[in-house]
Amino acid sequence: MSAPDQDNHVVLSVQDLNIYYGNIRAVKDISFEVHEGEIVTLIGANGAGKSSTLRAISGIIPYKGTISYRGQDLHKVPADKIVAMGIAQVPEGRGIFGSLTVRENLKLATWQRKDKAEISRDYERVYSIFPRLKERLNQQGGTLSGGEQQMLAVGRALMSRGTLMLLDEPSMGLAPVLVRDIFKVLREINQSGTTILLVEQNAYMALRLAHRGYVLETGRVTISGTGQELMGNPRVKEAYLGG
Amino acid sequence: MNKKQIVSSSLLLIAIILLALLPLMTKKNSTINLVILLLLYMTLASSWNILGGYTGQTNLGHAAFFGIGSLITRLLWIGGIPFSIAFLAGGIGAVALALLIGIPAFKLRGVYFAIGTLALAQILNLTVSNIFPEMSYNPNLADYQLMPRYYLFLVLAILTIGSAYFLVNSKWGLGMMAVREGEDAAESLGISALKHKLLALSVSAFFAGLVGGAFAYYHVSYYLSMPFGPEWTFDPMMMAYIGGTGTIIGPIIGAVFFVGLKQFLVWNVGEYHLIIFGTLFILIVLFLPGGLVEAWNKSRRLLQSRTGQKKNRVVPIT
Repeated sequence: MSAPDQDNHVVLSVQDLNIYYGNIRAVKDISFEVHEGEIVTLIGANGAGKSSTLRAISGIIPYKGTISYRGQDLHKVPADKIVAMGIAQVPEGRGIFGSLTVRENLKLATWQRKDKAEISRDYERVYSIFPRLKERLNQQGGTLSGGEQQMLAVGRALMSRGTLMLLDEPSMGLAPVLVRDIFKVLREINQSGTTILLVEQNAYMALRLAHRGYVLETGRVTISGTGQELMGNPRVKEAYLGG
Repeated sequence: MNKKQIVSSSLLLIAIILLALLPLMTKKNSTINLVILLLLYMTLASSWNILGGYTGQTNLGHAAFFGIGSLITRLLWIGGIPFSIAFLAGGIGAVALALLIGIPAFKLRGVYFAIGTLALAQILNLTVSNIFPEMSYNPNLADYQLMPRYYLFLVLAILTIGSAYFLVNSKWGLGMMAVREGEDAAESLGISALKHKLLALSVSAFFAGLVGGAFAYYHVSYYLSMPFGPEWTFDPMMMAYIGGTGTIIGPIIGAVFFVGLKQFLVWNVGEYHLIIFGTLFILIVLFLPGGLVEAWNKSRRLLQSRTGQKKNRVVPIT
């Protein structure tokens, strides 16, 4: 996919991000930007620091460096307010509330919203994207299959109505056909105006979808470029795309 | 309203009417006292359940809130302040104490809140027994009437259980359950874990403090440290677990079951009932974490699926 207009303004800017777990520096001086309308992906192996980076943006873990959203510094903003600012999230491991129903899971994502009419329109939108969820509204989240849970997690992120969506490994634990479905939906969501930052181990799918990507290795950005450039890069090919 | 709701709300109404008319039906004080005990435990267990059951925060020091409520109420009331004001002050005092421990403890994750509340209750138990070692804060027996006490407990039980019901069915209640299921996931949807925990804690402590105040009004003579004893934490907790945490009906059933079984065991095996209750508690946590409510739901589902299969079998093949 070709990148949208390069002049578009910056939605998310991460500068010199460092994350420590005790004495271990998990993320080292990472910098990247996400522009309006883009899909940007962070790829890398286990432990490369991808999820930590996302968790820092969500305000769940402490960090050093600067993260700003539409020009606003996020450092002092608590996690729950970050959502209200317009950053929707699909957390690692999906974060489905197992003993709550599908309907309650979706409703929770509207917690910060006051626009009732818009909310009911958004429910319809989620049902039209994921008809399966509508069939299972009164079922407990924990009884859904892995694919359905991922749909619910994405549906929830849609209900929180962000202009930037963060996704942490949406392909995790899913059959290839379901991964394809989810990624197709992500492209549609992007085309309808939502900017996406995607963290993935499934580099092939992520790079095919993304406009731009960054490769993370042991906490550093080692390679960056457009999705196509990265797919053609011999090192990326060898390390992440199976040669 | 659907059929199930009509049935359960009319049952509820009948129960409340029967309880309200009880003093007309019996003149035996022992019966009234037993029902008071039941109402007290239902209230205490339900209040524990708001935080422990619905919000997933293990409070091992509910006695601190029950105790501080009874201490404040007793001292003010015996000191000549109108009971209604003393009573309300007990509830508010409990909330203040709860926030004092909750705000620092909830900023940390994990077991800090459980340990903090356990320590708080023990410290208060010792401190109060040292400051007020004698039993001289007693009401004038000539004025003592049982009926106002009974109705106070009844109204308080209805108020507590009703508030718990409306709270957990509200937007805030849904947020509390989300925090119980996963703090990070809740925060990733914009739900502040800290705010929801503090709300649940405040409501829980408020009603615990009020029921402590009712206890101070009801009980004639006791050491002021008595309501701080660990049994005021662990008995209601056990009731909530026996009945089913995270449900409205659970603590009510649990309280009835607990009081009934305790009466029976105390009569028959005396002090050994403690061992039996301890074992029962461990067994329930291990094998029936949803308590009696879950056992009931499971057996009903089992029955339904059995009858469902039978129906399938008689479907004619066309």
